[in-house]
Amino acid sequence: MGEEIDNIENFEAKETSKKIPIGWQLLFWGLILWGIYYFVSYTPAISGWSQGKAYEESIGRGEAVPRP
Amino acid sequence: MSDYQYDNETVKGFIISSIFWGVVGILVGLWISIQMWAPSWNIPPYFTFGRLRVVHTNGLAFGLGIGAIFGICYYITMRLTKRPLLFPKLARFHLYLFNAAIALAALSLFAGMNQSLEYAELEWPLDVGVVILWVIFAVNIFGTIIKRKEEQMYISLWFIIATVITVAVLYIVNNLSIPAGLFKSYHLFAGVNSANVEWWYGHNAVGFIFTTPILAMFYYFLPKSTGIPIYSHRLSIIAFWSLVFAYLWTGAHHLIYTPLPDWIQTLAIVFTIFLIAPSWGSVVNGFYTVGTDWSKMQTNYLTKFFILGITFYGLQTIQGPTQGLRVVSQLIHYTDWVPGHVHMGTMGWVTMTVAASIYYIIPRIYDTEIYSEKIANTHFYLVLIGQLIFSITMWITGIQQGALWKAVNPDGSLKYTFMETLVRNYPFWKMRTVGGVIFTIGMLFFIYNIFMTIRKGKSLAAAKA
Ligand code: HEM
Ligand code: HEM
Repeated sequence: MGEEIDNIENFEAKETSKKIPIGWQLLFWGLILWGIYYFVSYTPAISGWSQGKAYEESIGRGEAVPRP
Repeated sequence: MSDYQYDNETVKGFIISSIFWGVVGILVGLWISIQMWAPSWNIPPYFTFGRLRVVHTNGLAFGLGIGAIFGICYYITMRLTKRPLLFPKLARFHLYLFNAAIALAALSLFAGMNQSLEYAELEWPLDVGVVILWVIFAVNIFGTIIKRKEEQMYISLWFIIATVITVAVLYIVNNLSIPAGLFKSYHLFAGVNSANVEWWYGHNAVGFIFTTPILAMFYYFLPKSTGIPIYSHRLSIIAFWSLVFAYLWTGAHHLIYTPLPDWIQTLAIVFTIFLIAPSWGSVVNGFYTVGTDWSKMQTNYLTKFFILGITFYGLQTIQGPTQGLRVVSQLIHYTDWVPGHVHMGTMGWVTMTVAASIYYIIPRIYDTEIYSEKIANTHFYLVLIGQLIFSITMWITGIQQGALWKAVNPDGSLKYTFMETLVRNYPFWKMRTVGGVIFTIGMLFFIYNIFMTIRKGKSLAAAKA
């Protein structure tokens, strides 16, 4: 088969080299926005949410579970 | 023909070594998969599950994975920089030291020496050896890139550079420990800090061993074997920088619902979900590239390896981020779901892409054609079926396990004992072994094909001489 010398032009398409599909851009920015929302909602110092509290709530009134 | 003197011998050496350690690791994988449903397959003290499992993971991540990465990154770097390695003799020494280190690593793990940090099990004297190996690799890669004869740097080189730098930082930081003798040491970090550093390392081992170097191969060998240039250079660059930036923040998603502070977990989840975008940048780019001429799926036998590989990478990088969410983690964490995730990535993406790269390289450096495309196709379908069986059985039993563990009676007590949940895994564990056997047979076809190609190349060369 032999060895051909690499030519960068065979690796990068010319006409489309700067194109970024719009769907992907939406995904990119959408996930950043979602990240901001999630960080604000689930950081105890910002929203007051905490894993411990969420756990307490998840076991309902907790009558059946022995209280410490 | 080129007048460049590429160092093919070192590349060959790494590829053969990687295949050798791959066979060892895969056979051990089969063995531990049997041990999970037939405990009598444990042979104490050396061949128990606890010791063999680390031989499996280290053998495949470091023997097969890193071995292939060393060899193939050398191959790619020489060609994209249009010059031989800066230090070819050092690269040869690198090859010998690599094999010595992996052999000693395997022996030490069989002997039960273990830092008790997943993927960082090797004790400190071996860590020193690994760092030396890595420095040699870095010197040769960076030296060659600095002295390159082609100004423009193709995206694969960026992925290789990120791999070299990041693995060095991760490995050194997580292996900082206080020796207590030659074969025993204690992590410098304690408690929750130790866990946090360990999973920062652990997740980025996935990111910079099972992702960036494999993407370097994907971006290089896809255009080489199909003749189609990558659709968008800009997309590959944006995906690269955002991937590298985001990965390093995500480790704590392995520690959801642990004593790690809530805000660290939340921050890690944010970056984890964001990772879908950079990961899919490469997936989209791959699909758009081959999308300009789908007939290549039929006319070039390697195209389907790369396309299936990047498809599993795409699935893996949706499944992985989803696993980081608290609501999903609480169901699947600690269950067999996770090995299902792991092996879709390692078998479907990593091993698939590495094998295709080797199929491309070996005929080129032996100046011949592949021995048999038919055997390559058989290999392809067998590893595909084997991997699907492995992943799907583990996903099913993992969800079942999680659901049973969480089931409670009205008074709050657990509905099922641990034993009751365990025995339900047996049929799935047995099926996983069947999937593993099919995958292994597929890999044997691959190895046979490679060795026959080498033989063919050698006899052609002898005939010419
Ligand atoms: C015949 C093929 C294979 C079989 C039968 C197999 C089997 C297994 C088994 C039984 C485990 C332990 C799961 C547990 O503890 O519950 C495991 C873990 C693992 N295997 Fe494999 N494996 C195979 C191929 C591979 C390959 C090719 C790679 C990498 C390139 C790999 C990487 C890993 C890793 C990283 C883990 C650790 C997963 C974790 O901690 O969650 N395996 N494998
Ligand atoms: C965007 C990319 C990815 C993300 C966000 C991600 C996320 C995750 C998460 C959250 C876990 C922990 C599951 C649990 O224990 O509850 C995990 C485990 C794992 N993932 Fe991924 N994953 C990604 C891609 C990959 C890829 C490409 C591979 C390649 C093989 C891979 C291999 C692994 C391995 C080996 C583990 C097991 C770690 C252990 O020993 O516990 N992941 N992943």
